[in-house]
Amino acid sequence: MAVITISRQFGSGGEAVARLVAEKMGYLLVNKAMIVENLRSYGVEDDFDQFDEKNFSLIEQAGYREIEEKRRHYLETLHNFIYDLAIRENLVILGRGGQVLFKDFPPALHVKIIAPLKGRLELVCKSYELDEAVAARLIEEQDQDRREYLRQIFGYNWLDLDLYHLVLNTELFGLEEAVALVVNAARVKEEMGDFPLSLPEDSRQEQGLLISQVHDATGNAPSFAHPSEEEFARMLDFYQIKWLYEPKTFPLEWDSEGNITVAFSPDFYLPEQDIYVELTTQKQKLVWRKNKKIRRLREIYPHVKIKIIYGRDYRGLLQKYGIEEKGE
Amino acid sequence: MPDEEANQLEILLTREQIYQRVAELGEKISKDYSGIEELIVVAVLRGSVYFAVDLSRRLSIPFSLDFIGISSYGATSYPLGIVRITKDLDINIVQKHVLLVEDIVDTGLTLNYLIKNLKTRNPKSLRVCSFLDLPGRRIVEVPVDYRGFEIPDLFVVGYGLDFQERYRNLEVVAALKKNRSGT
Repeated sequence: MAVITISRQFGSGGEAVARLVAEKMGYLLVNKAMIVENLRSYGVEDDFDQFDEKNFSLIEQAGYREIEEKRRHYLETLHNFIYDLAIRENLVILGRGGQVLFKDFPPALHVKIIAPLKGRLELVCKSYELDEAVAARLIEEQDQDRREYLRQIFGYNWLDLDLYHLVLNTELFGLEEAVALVVNAARVKEEMGDFPLSLPEDSRQEQGLLISQVHDATGNAPSFAHPSEEEFARMLDFYQIKWLYEPKTFPLEWDSEGNITVAFSPDFYLPEQDIYVELTTQKQKLVWRKNKKIRRLREIYPHVKIKIIYGRDYRGLLQKYGIEEKGE
Repeated sequence: MPDEEANQLEILLTREQIYQRVAELGEKISKDYSGIEELIVVAVLRGSVYFAVDLSRRLSIPFSLDFIGISSYGATSYPLGIVRITKDLDINIVQKHVLLVEDIVDTGLTLNYLIKNLKTRNPKSLRVCSFLDLPGRRIVEVPVDYRGFEIPDLFVVGYGLDFQERYRNLEVVAALKKNRSGT
C-alpha cells in the first residue's frame, strides 16, 4: 500500500502536518501514541520510550549489554510491525526512520518538514508553555536525538536531501499550505501510477473506480454468508476497528468416541477488543437454537467474551445510520 | 408537542430531571478538576451541543469550549471508506486536560475512534462525559467517566438527539415510536 513518511525538525509543526495529511488522505497515522498502543501486544516491554527516536549513548554504563539487547528487540519489532502494517494499510509514518525503511519503495512519498529556529522556538514556547531558554534546550536535545537515531540505526544523515521527495519550510508556507502540498504530491504519485487511488472518494465512486470490498485485519476479503455480515464489516472498517470473519470454531458437544458433534463459529472476532460478535438477523423462532449454542459456549469457555447482536439491535443500528436493510 | 407526522413520543426524562442531573454532573466535574489551570471541554457535533452548553454553565472551574465533528457511517450516498474529521479542534490540546462531551454512547464505535484520535495529540488527561448511556447496544468497550442517565435500548430523541434532524430542540428526552403509515 502507499506510504507517506514525514521527517521533521522539532517544533516545525511536522506532527500536525502528518496528522492532517493522514486525515485528508484517509491514511492510518503511525506516531508515537499509535506505536505505544500496538507494540505492547507484540510483547515489547513498556519502557521502550528510552529507545524511541533517542540518541543512544550508554556505552560503558552498568547493564549496557542487557539494555542494548532490549533496544535491538524493540527496533526489530517496530520495523516488522511497520512493514506488516504497510502490506495492508495506507500509512503516514511520523519519524522513526520511515524515509530509510521505505527508501526505494515506489509507493512511498518522503517529506521533510523544517522551519528556522526562531519560528520553532515560538511554537515550542507556546505549545508547551515554556520560557525561551528551556524551549531552546528542548529543541536542541530533540533534534540531536532524531539526528543520532537515524545515524546510529541506519547510517544516514537526516539532512541528506537525497532521501526526500519534498522539503517544506513551514515558516515560508504555513501548516495548511504544507498539508495541501503533501496531499497534492500524493495525487501526483497516484497519476504516476505509484500510489493506489485514494481521493476524493465521492468522485472515484462516480467514476466507478472504487471496488467496494471489505478486508479483514490480515488483508483478506472473506466471502460472507449473509449481506448483513458484510454491512457490519463495512461499518467496523469505517470506524477503523480491526476484525476477523469466523476465525475460530468452538467445539460444544462430543460423542462417546470424542468426535465433535456440535460446534459454533461466531461471525466476527475483534482482536483489539478481544471479543467475538455474533449477528443474529434470523427470524425470532430460529434464534432459540443459536441462543442454546451460545449458552453452551459460555459454560464451556467462560473466558471467551461474546456479544450477540439480535435482529432488533441490528435493525436499530441500520436505522441509526439511515441505511436500508439488505437481503433478508 | 409539535408532531405533525403523528410519530409517537413517550417522555423518558423530564426537563426537571435533566436540569437537576446536569447540575450534579457540573458540580462533580468541577470538584474532580478543582485546582487545574484549564479544562478543555470538547463537544462532539452536533448532538451534544445542547448538553455541552447546559453543562458548561454549571462548571465552576476555568475552561475553554471547543467542538469536533466526524463523518457518520451511512451519511454518504453509499457507505464507503473510513471515518473522517469534518470539523477539527481549533485549540491545541497537547498537555491539556480534556473532557470529551457526548450526547449518547451506544455502540461505542464513534467514541472509540474519537478517543484514539484525541490520544494521538498527547493530552495531559482525557475523560468522557456522556449525557446518555445505552450499554445494551455496546459493540466495543469504551470508558465513560461521567454519565447523565443510563437508559434502556430505545430510539430516543430530544435534548440534542434527532431523528432526521427533527426533535433536537425538545427540552425532554423521549422514546420515538414511529408510526409506519405516517413515515
